[in-house]
Amino acid sequence: MTQATSLPAAPSINRRLSPGAWLTGAALLASTALALWVCEVRPAQLVTAEARRYMGNFIVGMFPPDLSSEFLAFIVRPALETIQVSVMGTLLAIIIGLPLALGATSTLTHQGILRAMPGNLPLAARVGRVLPYALSRGVLNLFRAVPELVWALMFVRAVGLGPFPGVLAIGIAYGGIIGKIFAEILEEVDPRPLEALQATGASRFHVLVYGLVPQALPSLVSYMLYRWECAIRAAAILGFVGAGGIGQQVEISMRMFDYHQVVTLLAVVFVMVAGVDALSAVLRRRVA
Amino acid sequence: MEGVTKVFPGGVEAVRDLNLAVKRGEQVAIIGPSGAGKTTLLRLLNLTLPPSAGRLWVDGLDSGRLKGRGLRHMRSRIGTVYQQHNLVARLTVVHNVLAGRLGAWSVPRALWSLAFPQELERAVQALEAVAIPEKLAARTDELSGGQQQRVAIARVLVQDPEVILADEPIASVDPAVADDLIRLFVELAHTHNKTLIVNLHAIEFALKYFPRVVGLREGRIVFDTTPARLSPRVLEELYRGEPAPEGSEPTDDPSHLTPCGPLD
Repeated sequence: MTQATSLPAAPSINRRLSPGAWLTGAALLASTALALWVCEVRPAQLVTAEARRYMGNFIVGMFPPDLSSEFLAFIVRPALETIQVSVMGTLLAIIIGLPLALGATSTLTHQGILRAMPGNLPLAARVGRVLPYALSRGVLNLFRAVPELVWALMFVRAVGLGPFPGVLAIGIAYGGIIGKIFAEILEEVDPRPLEALQATGASRFHVLVYGLVPQALPSLVSYMLYRWECAIRAAAILGFVGAGGIGQQVEISMRMFDYHQVVTLLAVVFVMVAGVDALSAVLRRRVA
Repeated sequence: MEGVTKVFPGGVEAVRDLNLAVKRGEQVAIIGPSGAGKTTLLRLLNLTLPPSAGRLWVDGLDSGRLKGRGLRHMRSRIGTVYQQHNLVARLTVVHNVLAGRLGAWSVPRALWSLAFPQELERAVQALEAVAIPEKLAARTDELSGGQQQRVAIARVLVQDPEVILADEPIASVDPAVADDLIRLFVELAHTHNKTLIVNLHAIEFALKYFPRVVGLREGRIVFDTTPARLSPRVLEELYRGEPAPEGSEPTDDPSHLTPCGPLD
């Protein structure tokens, strides 16, 4: 403190933490402690005799993996199904997300050079411009807020077991994510070429096709591929709640304590995810 | 323009109570220091920025009453060449040039054109007029600054407007190309009988090629006259407070900083 009083004008470098910083730090510590207690985090449980026996059984049971030609032939179909669910789900997500993204792009609805509002624009017209934006954002938030697993549970009830509820779940949950990200990519496009297009008498749709999309294309494609990567992981998981694919087989084998089948199935999932990762990495490099 | 004012969000007044009349076929240069409101003036004139106050009459029509299709049609009659960054970098030259036709094309036709260029002969002719016909299929971001500016001019030619506006079209090209470009503008406007309004930072080109010169400072018109009547004193006054272009001695009045519009 004496330093601070002796040099009142100079910005002090070794200044004390502000009360706000103290408070934030204390709140972080408290919430971590609370979380540890609420979540019953007790690492000792992992190494109790009982836990060790169960895990030991699980790991020992995994070996040898079931590599019988019979089983391998049997899982080809669910594996393909998972890939198909991820492809169809991503496609549906794009079909759902793209129109909502256009509605949720503020530079297409009510902001920036394309939609500069004249000073005399009546309030009703202003609201009319913001409304589609607010609606699109609202729908996207709803789609995104509900996890795909929950969507899958609902659709399994609605349309029955199998890959179709998986496609619907990924389509809607990922539609919400893709819509939001696409909107943000489109909003960040350099507005100057757009203004030039608009000045030729082009409509917003013209500007979208000739300015926004060409400029944003690498980002859009790259993000689409990334979502597909995520979708294949999701498609594998969704099988657990009855949405078909390899996940359903994992769940069945787990329930039958057939751990040497489980390990084979997990290996197949790993190979699929790694394969899609590699493929999308190659594709993304090509569009960049 | 009748008493046109433009205030940007944030309170910056870029153009103040401006009155300006330009006749069909006239060639006008607008000069002034950076931040004087030249770019804003042009964006008001091409009807992409709505004025905050005042009226803008185009061909006897109050632009403030135009909306939707009518507004777009009026915009299609006014062509603009910007300072830079006005082309879609990732599209090929031909699509950037044909973008001049967007005001006349339906959306499906515009989409179709991206695969099978429509009215290709127009694009070819325009590129010949600006002397870069060989760049038709090149990707736009592979061209030099001067070539890109020619593409922008070709787009305006394809648009075939009655009025051509240009915002410091030579600011991003080297001096050797600058003279060619300005001459190209003036000649094209002359042969096709277009009204031409060009923002220029460089006084020499304004005096050399334009019969009418308008001086803009702090959003107001300081003079509106012929080059012959412009005295060095008036020009010095116009650029007071910043180093004048074309190498004349800067004045010693550093206190006078011009406010800068957000997009100027």
